Amino acid sequence: MTFEQRLARLEEIAGELEGEGVDLARALTLFEEGIQNLRAAADELAAAEARVQRLVERADGSFDVIDRE
Amino acid sequence: MTGRRVPRRDDPGALDLFVMSDAAPEGAYVPEEPPASEFVDGYPGETPRTAIAVGTLTQTAKDVIEGAFIPLWVRGEISDFKSHRNGHWYFCLRDASAQIRSVVWKRDQRGIPAAPDDGMQVAAFGRLTVYAARGEMQFTVTRIEAEGDGLRRKALEITRARLQADGLLAPERKRALPRFPKVMAVVTSPDGAALHDIVAVMRRRAADVRLVVVPAAVQGDTAPEELCFALDQVNRWGGAELVIVGRGGGSREDLWAFNDERVARAVAACHVPTISAVGHEVDFSICDLVADHRAPTPSAAAEAATFSRGELQAELRKLSLRMSGATRAVVRDRADAARHLGRDLAGAASGQLAVRRTALQSVAGRLNALSPLSTLARGYSVARGDDGATLVSAEAFRPDMPFELIVRDGVVPARVTGTPRRSTP
Repeated sequence: MTFEQRLARLEEIAGELEGEGVDLARALTLFEEGIQNLRAAADELAAAEARVQRLVERADGSFDVIDRE
Repeated sequence: MTGRRVPRRDDPGALDLFVMSDAAPEGAYVPEEPPASEFVDGYPGETPRTAIAVGTLTQTAKDVIEGAFIPLWVRGEISDFKSHRNGHWYFCLRDASAQIRSVVWKRDQRGIPAAPDDGMQVAAFGRLTVYAARGEMQFTVTRIEAEGDGLRRKALEITRARLQADGLLAPERKRALPRFPKVMAVVTSPDGAALHDIVAVMRRRAADVRLVVVPAAVQGDTAPEELCFALDQVNRWGGAELVIVGRGGGSREDLWAFNDERVARAVAACHVPTISAVGHEVDFSICDLVADHRAPTPSAAAEAATFSRGELQAELRKLSLRMSGATRAVVRDRADAARHLGRDLAGAASGQLAVRRTALQSVAGRLNALSPLSTLARGYSVARGDDGATLVSAEAFRPDMPFELIVRDGVVPARVTGTPRRSTP
């Protein structure tokens, strides 16, 4: 799951939990899933880092992306 | 001419040229060769007999004049402007007292934002040349700056109108930027300030992103082609989710490539959303109009393109609060509901009881009313036979028959003493 998908799922979960007529068992299942997503997203963020690369076109028209610096 | 002595005066250069162009055209009038002795102190053209060819004159003039002037800026007014179908521009540059024929060769026009109009006050940069074939002086121009930046304004207007006509400036063309782009192409100079700033912002924000630099010159004659090529490379590569194109601040000329129509069209042709980031806040470019998003500076582009770690963490915290709040609310609602239900049940039960009590009382009342006991209480008695049957008629009695009388507070044994008779109604 990408960060974006996780965030979207979390939005859905929060939305459903805030809605009318969620039964208790469903609410607890959603909450559980939400917590897992939150944890995974936070871990992903902690590891985030901007990388700088450079696009190189080879003679045959294919491309390489090489690290810079 | 073979074997003739070359006369020498004080301009060896001119004389060398004289030698080079001394061959007279076919059929031209060539004076008779004078005796060699007459040449000793003379110079070409000193006498009718030593007259030089027209071509020699104009060629010599060309060499003298062109050698005497370095390229320079000349100011004046444009008149008689013509764009020839061979692509060259011809006009006169003049002021109140003089004029000079001027030309801009087609290949030199890319350094000039737009064709000048008659009447424009300009400064033109060029070389004074001689068109030997016609014996005319000509100013060969390679750059033109119009008063009040008129040429650049004209160029911008023309380009803008052309892009507008093709629908490239329409607001509905603008695409939304991806929310979390992982791979971003940056089309700019690989060692310019813009890239430096963008990288610094991304690092500071700890954005989870790969910046892929696609190098291009951002100023100078080759910049438009290089920018177009780099943007095309981004398309052909296909790995980026977003393109930032731009450069750091600079003079108006430095930024001019981003007003080039070809560059604008290349930006419009990008397969993924684009951010234009040219110069500083106050700088405006045609690329800004065409791109999906305009950032005032390269740093601002980096900020527009990514979330910082802090922002995302705040977002997660917000979601976490919403989720736990909502879950707590659900649990609380259920608990409340259970409590209400209990209360309702108890209420319902006690209500039921009251109804039953009332019903019971009414039944009891009715029973009471029907009970013979109450009749007995009023002084009546009931006769019952040995078999327990109530004796309700005179015919049930036989002489000497025992029976019992039930009265209000007990039973009295009794016996029939006479003959029972029916009373006459």
